[in-house]
Amino acid sequence: MSELLWQALQQVQGYVYPNEIEVNWSILIVFYPYITGLVAGAFIVASLERVFKVEAVKPTYRLALLTALAFLLAAPLPLVAHLGHPERALEIMFTPHLSSAMAGFGFVYAWYLLIVLLLEIGYDYRKDVVKWARTKRGLKGFLYRLLTMGDYDISKEALKKDEKLVGIITVIGLPSAAFLHGYVGFIFGSVKANPWWSSPLMPIIFLFSAMVSGIALVLLIYMASTKLRGKKLDMKCTDTLAGYLLYTYVLDLSLEFMEIAHLVYVQEEGIDAILTLINDRLFLSFIVIQIFLGTIVPIFLLVMAKTGLFRATIRKIFYIFAALLAMIGVLAMRWNVVIGGQMLSKSFRGFSTYILPIFGIEGLLTAVAIFILPFVLLFIFVKVLPPWEEPPIWESTEHQAVEGNGEG
Amino acid sequence: MRKIHVRVAMVYIVIAIIFLIVRSFIVPPSFGEYGWYRGDSVSEIMNLSVKHAGSYSCSNCHQTEYKAWTTGKHSTVNCESCHGPLKYHVDDPGGSKVEVNATREFCGLCHNENPSRPEGFPQINLESHGNGFTCVTCHNPHYPWFD
Ligand code: HEC
Ligand code: HEC
Ligand code: HEC
Ligand code: HEC
Repeated sequence: MSELLWQALQQVQGYVYPNEIEVNWSILIVFYPYITGLVAGAFIVASLERVFKVEAVKPTYRLALLTALAFLLAAPLPLVAHLGHPERALEIMFTPHLSSAMAGFGFVYAWYLLIVLLLEIGYDYRKDVVKWARTKRGLKGFLYRLLTMGDYDISKEALKKDEKLVGIITVIGLPSAAFLHGYVGFIFGSVKANPWWSSPLMPIIFLFSAMVSGIALVLLIYMASTKLRGKKLDMKCTDTLAGYLLYTYVLDLSLEFMEIAHLVYVQEEGIDAILTLINDRLFLSFIVIQIFLGTIVPIFLLVMAKTGLFRATIRKIFYIFAALLAMIGVLAMRWNVVIGGQMLSKSFRGFSTYILPIFGIEGLLTAVAIFILPFVLLFIFVKVLPPWEEPPIWESTEHQAVEGNGEG
Repeated sequence: MRKIHVRVAMVYIVIAIIFLIVRSFIVPPSFGEYGWYRGDSVSEIMNLSVKHAGSYSCSNCHQTEYKAWTTGKHSTVNCESCHGPLKYHVDDPGGSKVEVNATREFCGLCHNENPSRPEGFPQINLESHGNGFTCVTCHNPHYPWFD
């Protein structure tokens, strides 16, 4: 018997079926919807500027795109690490079955990566890439020349067409992002045997919490990167982003509330077990972290910031705390869904316990490492494709040289 | 058509072709013949040799054990659950010797205390029960209890 199963066995409460003793969807499966959610959220921030013409958030447009890409590349890693046979991961795409929602993921993912994100980033950066390809030497120059794909046409018309194309891709991308993440909620929502999961609201709740976490992430990265670059924070952009964070938060909270209210009101079989789950087993992670610290407090902070009573420096602090709490709150939400749903026995008469190992492939360290990876990727992307609106110092001189040569 | 579009489309077409080529190597040819699995596996499994003979086949030659076993507490446990697959032995009793495992650990596989076993199932503490003698010193494995 595995050590974990033995430990979990001793903490079983009430009656559970033998295959429910060990919680098999581990912390990795908590991070999987969390990371895909961040992708969807970050992309929606990017589309604010493109589709909804929210000009104020322009400074975050490219940053949000690169963030989405970095996190998208890391998104399947928790799943692959969770597989006993990672080398078989692609078989889900080689022989996909229509009755499997999971098999759909591979294609939704590929579509989103290849057709939406890469194309949008590629066409949006084209002008700059062509410029860099002409000026940079060495490995970097080679990379840029590769990225131009041999087309150096940055005439006014070409750029205008690019612009239009990016607009179209964003419009396609928006439902794709919603689909990518909504589908994760769909997988949980369709487990009809589990009353804590089974709900058609699940995909929508997942989507809104994804937006919350994604906006918070972009906000944090934007604030941190401006600080690191020693620039002045664009307060209008920050305020606008925080405003959107607040609106999605309120929607998210009301959806979450609706879900719980519905569960309690209809009093279906298993409601007693769910109430015990919430009030006892998940008290810390659900009531304290997700609802109070992760939702009520940040909403309060954001509303405070909106009142206009506070100076920019104070608002900034509010935003940092609100965004950090939002990220933690949404992670707690994923935890409560994934782990909570497995603690609840299908007998509705008992609970098992999740034991989080530190080491090992399903351990905390793996999950943290997978979560750090997108930040490393983002760092590299930002170095290769600087998303800043004004040219960074290290290349402004070269830039002037290009401008001197005349564009196109 | 602009050059860039053509190039991008070409890259994607190449990716798709690579995917299809890799797929054609990895997916077995008989996949989907009967269902969502490799068709050849059916005939492969059919051709596996039979390993078990069944408890009844022992009755001719090992009457003592068999009789005791049918009336004893272990009558729900097949001979071959303890002795291993023995088709080869039934076909040729004089052939290779049958190994018998009479260690304490062996009985402990089923009888050591474990909270996940049904409550009424006879369980003992492998460390202390029987003072370290092999279980068969006191229990007849083919008729383990006396009532
Ligand atoms: C055709 C008669 C025959 C059948 C059928 C048969 N056995 Fe045997 N078995 C023998 C003979 C003869 C020996 C002794 C061989 C030896 O000592 O090398 C033996 C030996 C054994 C031994 C080893 C005894 C020892 O002291 O090492 C075991 C255990 C055993 N048989 C179990 C079984 C089981 C279980 C079955 C039913 C699946 C079975 N046999 C079916 C004839 C048979
Ligand atoms: C619970 C496990 C178990 C089952 C079931 C079982 N046996 Fe055994 N059998 C043993 C063990 C243990 C020994 C060794 C006994 C010893 O060393 O004293 C043994 C010994 C034997 C021997 C050798 C006898 C001897 O005195 O050397 C034969 C023959 C045999 N078993 C046949 C059978 C047959 C036939 C069946 C089914 C009717 C059967 N066994 C079912 C555990 C089992
Ligand atoms: C494959 C699993 C298995 C193995 C191995 C096994 N047993 Fe059993 N044993 C059982 C089952 C099943 C019963 C019947 C339980 C019942 O009646 O509920 C049983 C019953 C017993 C009983 C009767 C207990 C009672 O209270 O009635 C004794 C004693 C016993 N076994 C001893 C042994 C010994 C000694 C060995 C090792 C030679 C052994 N068992 C190996 C499965 C096993
Ligand atoms: C020294 C003799 C002796 C040895 C060795 C011995 N037992 Fe027992 N066993 C007994 C006696 C006597 C009882 C009945 C009294 C009791 O429950 O302690 C018993 C009872 C049992 C029971 C029934 C327990 C119940 O609660 O119904 C099982 C099962 C059992 N033994 C299995 C084993 C196994 C497995 C081994 C080897 C690891 C073993 N015994 C070794 C003497 C022995």
